[in-house]
Amino acid sequence: MTRPEDALAHARAEAARKRATGDYPKAGAAALDGSIVSARPSIELLSDWAVIEGDPELLLYSTRRAGAPVTALKRMIARLLRQYAVEVEARQTRFNIALLANVQELERRIGALERAAQGRAADSGRAGPAAGPSATPARPAATREEPRGSSADPLA
Amino acid sequence: MTAIHQAVAGVGRYDAVSDQTRAWRRLLSTDGFAGGDYAARIDPRVRAGFRPLGELEPDDGDLIVIRYSAWSRGLTALLGLPNPILLVYHNITPAEYLWNHNAGLGVQCAVGRIQLPMFARRARVAVADSDFNAAELRAAGAADVRVVPILFEPARLVARGRPPAGTGPLVLVVGRLVPNKRHDRVLDAFAAYQRACAADARLLFAGEPLDPVYRRLVEGHVRSCGARNVEVAGALGQAELNAAYADADVLLTLSEHEGFCIPLLEAFHFGVPVVAAPNGAMPGVAGDAALWTDDDPAVTAELLDLAVRDRELRAELARRGRMRLEHFGAEATAAAVREAIALALG
Repeated sequence: MTRPEDALAHARAEAARKRATGDYPKAGAAALDGSIVSARPSIELLSDWAVIEGDPELLLYSTRRAGAPVTALKRMIARLLRQYAVEVEARQTRFNIALLANVQELERRIGALERAAQGRAADSGRAGPAAGPSATPARPAATREEPRGSSADPLA
Repeated sequence: MTAIHQAVAGVGRYDAVSDQTRAWRRLLSTDGFAGGDYAARIDPRVRAGFRPLGELEPDDGDLIVIRYSAWSRGLTALLGLPNPILLVYHNITPAEYLWNHNAGLGVQCAVGRIQLPMFARRARVAVADSDFNAAELRAAGAADVRVVPILFEPARLVARGRPPAGTGPLVLVVGRLVPNKRHDRVLDAFAAYQRACAADARLLFAGEPLDPVYRRLVEGHVRSCGARNVEVAGALGQAELNAAYADADVLLTLSEHEGFCIPLLEAFHFGVPVVAAPNGAMPGVAGDAALWTDDDPAVTAELLDLAVRDRELRAELARRGRMRLEHFGAEATAAAVREAIALALG
């Protein structure tokens, strides 16, 4: 008998042995892996979601016992109201896209700020040892004094 | 006598939250409490027992039991009432699993998680049905969380309907057909099991699909995974489900998120070995009475083979399963429910 505590190790050994002889294929991605969204969806995915486009054939159904006529009625009503639905969808999409554009712009500016900060930190690190312990780090001070609105200022 | 009302976001024919609402109501009625059960959304197939949440008008001092598993504007509105509130947290499916499959439910789950701290702070007593859920409730700000397990009712597992067709080893999967249950991984593991261990094996999915589109997606996976003898049965009536358990050789669950997982206890009741992924509340519920697997379909296939063929292992798992069932005994749980209610009533 295999003890429950030993079952996983036994199964792993058997799986490896049989995989070596071709009984099992190499483990790959499962079918749903790509459809599970990370907790913070990417900008690319958000841009896809921003476009609201309902499909009555897919979205409307009935869970009632004899639901087919109910589903047909719902879809017919949706088709009759299509003109209204398309306009509402378009207005929501307009807002979503505008909002997303602003988020993208903010991300671009934050990225530029972070790169600038990293650059200053690297310059400061290089200047320190070469100039000796008593030297004044001139470069970061100069960077801080750059006027707002110059091309180096990502908040411009 | 003070009335006790229960409120849920949605009620369906077969799901843990709806079943537990009914089970608590039976207990409350036995104890002489009046009150009703209310839901923001009621599946049209649910014929009796629930009223629309908007009709809930409690008298002063009535206790409101909020069963929290998703957001609903109606549930949030209850927080503004002066009545004492007993919060029962059943956990909320992470919206990440739902955004691409049912955006509406994804919204209910996402907002549900955002608003959980509000419910946790407002409740006079906060209850979770597993240690896993209790930890989330504490993290949400509940000061004193009590663990009151699922009210498990073996009496409903007695009736027998028609068993599934076929004769090969039956791998049973019980639970709603939703993305976090990872039916795709089940299919990969079952296809591997059929290929390397038991060509005549059968796989039965018993559970209500998220929606018709998701059901068609899973049926598409069935066709593409290379497995045979797979049935996507949808929701089974209790008698048919009992017959499936009685006929099953092993229960398989590779779910990535579970607040409790009642099918584990049902499998223990029927003496059916369990192969499961150690996710969510499942390790706390099943303990050492299940075979725990990893992400490799071949490893799961080998565990299925052990669970089906090794008679001594099956007997040992059945013995351990019975011990876990004792831990979730109906009398002890009923006493814990009564204690939580007494505390909430003050």
